[in-house]
Amino acid sequence: MIDFINYLINGALVGLLYALIAMGFVVIYRASKVFNFAQGELVVFGGFIVWWMVASLGLPLWVGLPLAFVAAAIFGLLVERVFFSRLAGESVFAMVMVTIGLLILIRGLILVLFGPQVRSFPIIFPLQPVIIGDILIPRSLLVGGVITVIVGFGLSWFFNRTRAGLRMTAVAEDHQVALSMGISVKRSIAFAWVLGAVLSTLGAIIFLSGKSLNFLASDIGLAALPVALLAGFEAIAGVLLAGLIVGIIQGLVTAYLDPIVGGAIGTVFPFIIMLVILFIRPTGMFGWKTIERV
Amino acid sequence: MTILKHIKTAGLAAAFGLLAATMPAKAETTYNIASLADFTGPYADVMKDLIGARRPVIDWWNAEVGKKLGVKLGVKDYDHRYDAAQVASLWPGIKAELNPIIALGVGGPDVAALQGRLPSDKIPMVMSTAAYGFAWKPDPWIFNQRPTYSHEAASFFEWFRQKRGGAGPLKVAIISSEASPAYVDQHKGVQRYAADNPDKVEVVEVVFTEVQPTDLTTQVNRVTRKGAEVIMIMTNTAAVVATKRALQSLGKQVPIILSSHNGLAESGRAIGDLKQMEGDYEVYAMAAPTDAKTPGREFFDMLQSKYNLKAKWTVSAVQGLGQALIAMRAIEAAAKKVGPDKITGEAVREALISAPITPDDTFKILGTIKFSNDAPFPTQGMVASIATVKDGKYTEAAENVPVPTLNKW
Repeated sequence: MIDFINYLINGALVGLLYALIAMGFVVIYRASKVFNFAQGELVVFGGFIVWWMVASLGLPLWVGLPLAFVAAAIFGLLVERVFFSRLAGESVFAMVMVTIGLLILIRGLILVLFGPQVRSFPIIFPLQPVIIGDILIPRSLLVGGVITVIVGFGLSWFFNRTRAGLRMTAVAEDHQVALSMGISVKRSIAFAWVLGAVLSTLGAIIFLSGKSLNFLASDIGLAALPVALLAGFEAIAGVLLAGLIVGIIQGLVTAYLDPIVGGAIGTVFPFIIMLVILFIRPTGMFGWKTIERV
Repeated sequence: MTILKHIKTAGLAAAFGLLAATMPAKAETTYNIASLADFTGPYADVMKDLIGARRPVIDWWNAEVGKKLGVKLGVKDYDHRYDAAQVASLWPGIKAELNPIIALGVGGPDVAALQGRLPSDKIPMVMSTAAYGFAWKPDPWIFNQRPTYSHEAASFFEWFRQKRGGAGPLKVAIISSEASPAYVDQHKGVQRYAADNPDKVEVVEVVFTEVQPTDLTTQVNRVTRKGAEVIMIMTNTAAVVATKRALQSLGKQVPIILSSHNGLAESGRAIGDLKQMEGDYEVYAMAAPTDAKTPGREFFDMLQSKYNLKAKWTVSAVQGLGQALIAMRAIEAAAKKVGPDKITGEAVREALISAPITPDDTFKILGTIKFSNDAPFPTQGMVASIATVKDGKYTEAAENVPVPTLNKW
């Protein structure tokens, strides 16, 4: 029973980490209708910025981390200015293709700027797990989970309750309508990329604390994909629930089915759920249903 | 009279000298070697030393061996990003451009992409890595300087069990991944070995992870509760760091056994300090790059001073040296057998199989290498080196550890 609770808690916390990365997908999609294939690379880039500030330059955490967030925000803005602002009015397909190009570009940039070496990521959260009786909770994931919940509800409030957020929601609904209402679509998209890059950096900090860093870490973007699809690409708070579902199922399958099957079925299982959900409800659990009237 | 005799002798010597100077140098036939590399993929971090060691060996061979034989070797690197699809797509161009007599490979993707094609292309390939069970087939055209990863791991298990003492089997946990067929092959081989030798090794669990694990605390806690005495990780450094962090957070000390590509130095760098790898091990069937003045180290130093070798003395550099030396010795044997102007890929393969390579041929970097038509790696007489971190220092724990015989899996 204790093992079951351990797997449940760990799965939930890993799921919340996926949810945080998935929020990056959602924020960018809401503003630009673009599925960002380079989300994992944004996580790695954010990770390298943190490594550069804290481990390479030796800045204390309280200086290095805020500076890393600022640098990530500037990078997000730069990406939007250089690539996506020029594509306003172009087809979504063209923008998606640019995100694939961006993926390759960021990988190349990382190799050129930071080299191919595996780097030791700074220990941001203490390594000692939280131990309650026989229950063992990794501290970085626990702190990360709390941060994710706060960020998730904060963003949900921002998008649904504030003027700036509602403007972005209008942009997410329809660019032409938003423009006709005097809303700057370009500014909204730029803000979404800034937010996406900052969220990715936050995800990198939680994911990589005390571990090693190279561009293989971008695989977390792929792991977070079922969460975003399960929630629906427009639902910020829904991502939290989807993350919990995917994480718990993955944790339990890894613990109980992997040893029986003799393979990594736990890694595949979230994608199976994702396909089933998409088959039943293509917009995801909380995605917006679009009704087109001809 | 005596003066005249001296003048005559001097005149003759001068005439011979002039004749020798004006005679054309011995004609050299130039052949090409394709050097496959991963500069932008998952093993890009170890490529600088591996590739850095290959080229100076070829330069040394050209200057000190090839010149006498009348053979000159050219080499060109190709980046395949450790991707089988990329290898398959690059290969026709490599063949057309270089018409190589031998290729130097990096790892699993080369084998997966080319093992079916090289026999018809008649180009042999020498690998720097250990071999794979899935490629353990007769009539090979791809040759590994080392036995399989499972063979190497088994040699460590037998050595460690003896060191531990006692009668029971050594309890082993394996952290693996399904991200690459090579990773799966490693644990399948060990599982087969354990099934065939239940008195020696017991695999308590195979834990599957992603290439960059999120957290392994729960999994590591589980395998330690099952009594694991050793944790085998031959996938990558990210898995080593995640396992090490899990052990540290649990306050447990279970030695980890690593391979060459994710060894102690690489994993130590990835975790931030070699001292954190205290008591862990690495195993491979080649010399360990310790500070000892071995023939291999002297050869390496000579390449540094005379042939512009830029690599550091690391496991990857040793891999590159061994691989290149095997290729050179095979070409050398082929040149002696068929003549310097008639070397083909087929002749080089024939030389690989028929002419054993002695430890002296590789400056004791490798043991005796005797390939056959039965397997892509030497199946008999192999020995392994085991290195560890003791008092914070990289050191050899054992050398010439016999590699046991394993059944195919």
